[in-house]
Amino acid sequence: MKDTWKIAKWEVMRNLTNKQFIIGLLLTPVIMVVFGGLPVLLQRWNEPAVVTYYVVDELGVLPSLKAQTPDNVILEEYAEKESIEKAVQENKAAGYFLLDSGFVNTGQIELKYNERNNESITVIRTLLTRTLQNQRIQMAQIAPEQVAYLTAPAEVISVPISEADEPEAMEMLVSTVFVVLIFFLIFTSGTMLMQSALQERRDRMAEVVLSSILPSQLMQGKILGHFLLGMIQLVFWLIIGLPLVIYFIDFPVWEAISATNIPLLLFFGLLGYLLFSALFVSMGATMEDLQSAGNSQGLVIMIPMMSFLFLGPVMSNPDGTIAVFASLFPFTSPAIMIIRNAMTKVPGWQMLVSAILLLITTWVISKLAAKIFRIGMLMYGKTATIGEIVKWVRYKES
Amino acid sequence: MDGLEVRNIRKVYGAVPVVDNVSFQAKKGQIMGILGPNGAGKTTTIRMIMGITAPDSGEIWFTNEGTKTSGVPRSTVGYLPEERGLYKEAKVMNILQFLAGLKGVGRSTAKKRALEWLKKFDLEEQANAKIEQLSKGMAQKVQFIASILHEPKFIVLDEPFSGLDPVSQDLFKAAIRNLASEGAAVLLSSHQMNIVEELCDEIFLIDKGQEVVYGDLQSIKEQYGNYRVHILGNGDIQTLASSPLVESFEQLTDTRSVLILKDKVQPAEFLRTIPAEADIKELSVTRPSLHDIFVKIAKGGLKDEGYLENR
Repeated sequence: MKDTWKIAKWEVMRNLTNKQFIIGLLLTPVIMVVFGGLPVLLQRWNEPAVVTYYVVDELGVLPSLKAQTPDNVILEEYAEKESIEKAVQENKAAGYFLLDSGFVNTGQIELKYNERNNESITVIRTLLTRTLQNQRIQMAQIAPEQVAYLTAPAEVISVPISEADEPEAMEMLVSTVFVVLIFFLIFTSGTMLMQSALQERRDRMAEVVLSSILPSQLMQGKILGHFLLGMIQLVFWLIIGLPLVIYFIDFPVWEAISATNIPLLLFFGLLGYLLFSALFVSMGATMEDLQSAGNSQGLVIMIPMMSFLFLGPVMSNPDGTIAVFASLFPFTSPAIMIIRNAMTKVPGWQMLVSAILLLITTWVISKLAAKIFRIGMLMYGKTATIGEIVKWVRYKES
Repeated sequence: MDGLEVRNIRKVYGAVPVVDNVSFQAKKGQIMGILGPNGAGKTTTIRMIMGITAPDSGEIWFTNEGTKTSGVPRSTVGYLPEERGLYKEAKVMNILQFLAGLKGVGRSTAKKRALEWLKKFDLEEQANAKIEQLSKGMAQKVQFIASILHEPKFIVLDEPFSGLDPVSQDLFKAAIRNLASEGAAVLLSSHQMNIVEELCDEIFLIDKGQEVVYGDLQSIKEQYGNYRVHILGNGDIQTLASSPLVESFEQLTDTRSVLILKDKVQPAEFLRTIPAEADIKELSVTRPSLHDIFVKIAKGGLKDEGYLENR
């Protein structure tokens, strides 16, 4: 443990005195603000295109239609059916349609267009639906009060049966933020871990270090060191970010955290981190460089992404089969179980099975990773093939 | 005996034995040379001694001041591997302190010793330089210092001289001799035969994972090195070469030739047979260098010519 700690300390110091790391530490919040804020600003500056449709109105409803259209959709009355198409072409209007008794009878209308503009077509569809309904109601001679009564929308008031089942918005928020942070940690320090193992190998340091300590200590030290580095980053950003969040959004941070099952978050989060970092560091130990072609090991960095594939189904049905599977499957359970737990009441047995599966998998993967790491670190000069890695795993303990 | 004792170690990768039944000793205060062509099993043998890989069978014992342990304790071993480097972006002093720290040496002690060694190797001013700013030779000196900073009782140096200029080579040689005389057992692997000849007390030659020759330098030469008689003169070399004591001869130039005496033929025995009228201006008798013996062995010469059976 003492040697593990020495390695961890070295990794931390090595990076904290590294310019690239410092720049990354300072620049990341700036980049986040730019990429987070920019789309909002762009959206605000972006003005929608104005489209004009010519309308021959035999029903006399155009004035009321015009009153309801948004600013970027203009309906212009045109008198003659025969020349309307020509006028549309000449004046470069978007298209035209005819409002006549045929529309009221069939409910169908032809909108002929020059350039398809889906947004305006959706607007027109909504308006014409209302027009059609009003026309038909008038023909049926129903009193306006009755119309209002008949067409009133349903109002759904959702009331939880028991307090415990109530989906906690705050818990959901904290859980989501936690998952995002853990994944951020996995990806950033995971990549750094991979690189650190790779560098150790490329700089030919492995053999010297391994003459002093055990490979497992070196691996654990690296994992611990990069975890600490990741935490330093997170804490640094939180110190900057939290006051801003509280100041601008007025969010009850402490209340939200106390509403969350923190031990569960920590258990799944930390084990998930361990699982993936063991995987990454061992793959780093088999590679000569990150860029070399046919570097299939680099793809393991994609494994944590699997969780995102399940996010949609889990959100729409947190108790469905897919959600249950994803919260039990160890490579997705860290993220999915935390999210599910915030959304629904996860049965105790699922929680237990998921936790046990994750524990066992993390343990097995760490053992395999240590094996791959030990052999990989001493193989110089080339990237190992998948076949070779499989062979190493099969070697008996020696 | 204080020092290292390797008994019948064997390592098999797949179906191929990389090291097969190897035994030798590296005694305290001595320098032991381990030689062999590329791929002979040297590095694997060294890695097993270092405890980086474990032998499939066999034993490795280390005795320090009368206390015998299985394997060499990590804190008492110094290792300069053949494939070596240093973290490029780290500073010299930091890296030395880190590596000494892994061996259990405190920061201040490590710093004090490191400064002494850096001074010895004329690198004082580079103490706070980054590794990437050093020349290859400088970095190699730092690696050497890193391997001995914790004052190991057993030192393994794998190709320590490769890429060094002659001045630095002499520095290293002196340092290695010094370490041995201060009581360390040194295991030295090198392809530079002249240096091995100069430094080593004993030699272990390995080929295809097996012991080929093992012993002190002098007896190895006696065993494998037939005497060579170098002659400068205008006389008829053929007559001399036809002596039953001569195995073969080589005409180097018009006036220079070398006679290789038969196995176990002593120089005096041959000199007595030289006729008085022979036109000889210069004559010298040498034994083949370790280099010649090594080349012969590497090419399979010893085995092919039945040397091993004669031993």
